[in-house]
Amino acid sequence: MRQVSIRFENVVQRFRVIRERPDTLREAFTRVLRYKSQIFDFEALKGVSFSVSDGETVGIVGRNGSGKSTTLKIIAGVYQPTSGVVKVSGHVAALIELGAGFHADLTGRENIVMNGLILGMSRREIQAREEGIVEFAELGDFIDSPVKQYSTGMYMRLGFAIAAEVDPDILLVDEILAVGDAGFQQKCMARIEDFRERGKTIVYVSHSMATVKQLCTRALLIHEGVLLADGPPDEIYDKYNELLHQPVGAT
Amino acid sequence: MLELISEVRRNRELIWALALKELRVRYKRSALGFIWALLNPLLMMVILATVFSVVMQMPVKQYAVFLLATLLPWTFFAQSLSYAVESIVGNGDLLKKIYIGKAVFPVAAVLSNVINFLLSMIPLVVILVVLRFPFHWTWIYLPVPFLALVLFTLGCGFFCAAAHVFFRDVSHIVQNVLNAWFYASPVIYSLDFVPPKYHIFFRFNPMLYILNGFRLAIYNGQLPTLQSVAMSLGCGIGALIAGYLLFRRHQNTFVFYV
Repeated sequence: MRQVSIRFENVVQRFRVIRERPDTLREAFTRVLRYKSQIFDFEALKGVSFSVSDGETVGIVGRNGSGKSTTLKIIAGVYQPTSGVVKVSGHVAALIELGAGFHADLTGRENIVMNGLILGMSRREIQAREEGIVEFAELGDFIDSPVKQYSTGMYMRLGFAIAAEVDPDILLVDEILAVGDAGFQQKCMARIEDFRERGKTIVYVSHSMATVKQLCTRALLIHEGVLLADGPPDEIYDKYNELLHQPVGAT
Repeated sequence: MLELISEVRRNRELIWALALKELRVRYKRSALGFIWALLNPLLMMVILATVFSVVMQMPVKQYAVFLLATLLPWTFFAQSLSYAVESIVGNGDLLKKIYIGKAVFPVAAVLSNVINFLLSMIPLVVILVVLRFPFHWTWIYLPVPFLALVLFTLGCGFFCAAAHVFFRDVSHIVQNVLNAWFYASPVIYSLDFVPPKYHIFFRFNPMLYILNGFRLAIYNGQLPTLQSVAMSLGCGIGALIAGYLLFRRHQNTFVFYV
């Protein structure tokens, strides 16, 4: 029996959506005076349960706004779920938003250090891997320029190169392979494959079923915050197709 | 409180890097760079010292030193707080994407100003030398009011950073409170100038005890009373505990409001 690395038990994630947010005290006061409910709750996840074993590669598919990314962010610890139990064992790295935390005025090299620290690496680890990151990102001389001068592709490549050097037990990937040219995409895929072969757990979110079929051994289909199906990618593929052909909103 | 210490320890490299980044970004692309850290307090002092010793004729010998002894810690406090109040909201994009211990940001904001403060000790020493003002042995006592100052600033920083997440008015309020607080604290004057019947109001001001420690040690060459020391450290620790508890209580919901 392999160990469970991620477990969700009846996880609910409710967001307080405020039609007109009280950003200021004045608005908070007028709110009290007028007493009008401008808040509604939106449940991004409505009681989702699943578990992922150590070393599995699981794809999460679903339409836009189905709750895929919310699930990933809960695993990453960004959100604390409203209710339910979440257990994650092991160090998590997220390829969710590449280059989050880059500072425009700092050079590529300075950002490698900053970003690496943000992602939980130690300074020594970063120093050891710096050359590898620079090489992987294919930035050449730009590495010593401020990142505000980078093109979107360069920015993303650097982001991926840093995140890929974090050596986590669980890797979360959110649709990032859409960045960069075909050559770079292949390199990213190779990195992820390499991860899988080393027996790491991978959770891969996408609305492209093709890459999920290519990478994953299992897939979860989420729709409007509910886990609709859990099984081999081929089966999920059919169900997802059915869903895609339904008009939005019909369940 | 132990939680805070362990979070800071765990993220010490990140905090240090964030604090340095703050400074680097602040001085980047300015021709004088870090020299501004030394120049700013000097220029501020020249203005205030001129106004108060030449124009207002304050009955104080060596007014520049009298002033600088409290102005530097005050500047540290005011600047740290203006940084800290924005520290969570300003890093909102990051918090929404990656899990990071939230306390890292206010701590880094204060730390970058600690570095600035220590740098500003250099112009202070220069001025003392130029004015031939004696270095009292009581300088060795300075770490005590400094500790109280940092703890108090951290506490206020945690409080304001958390409050600002929920009400964006807080940063404006902080600026105005700081303005009023500056004149309500014995920075440009000392308590001796205040009619005794009003002293009671000053006793509620934690900065009184902290600033007093700095001025006595640098200017007067005296040590504060034990009671004053206890008050300054007590206010520092109390503010830190209260500020951090509030911060911790709400830190998991920051991500939904930034």
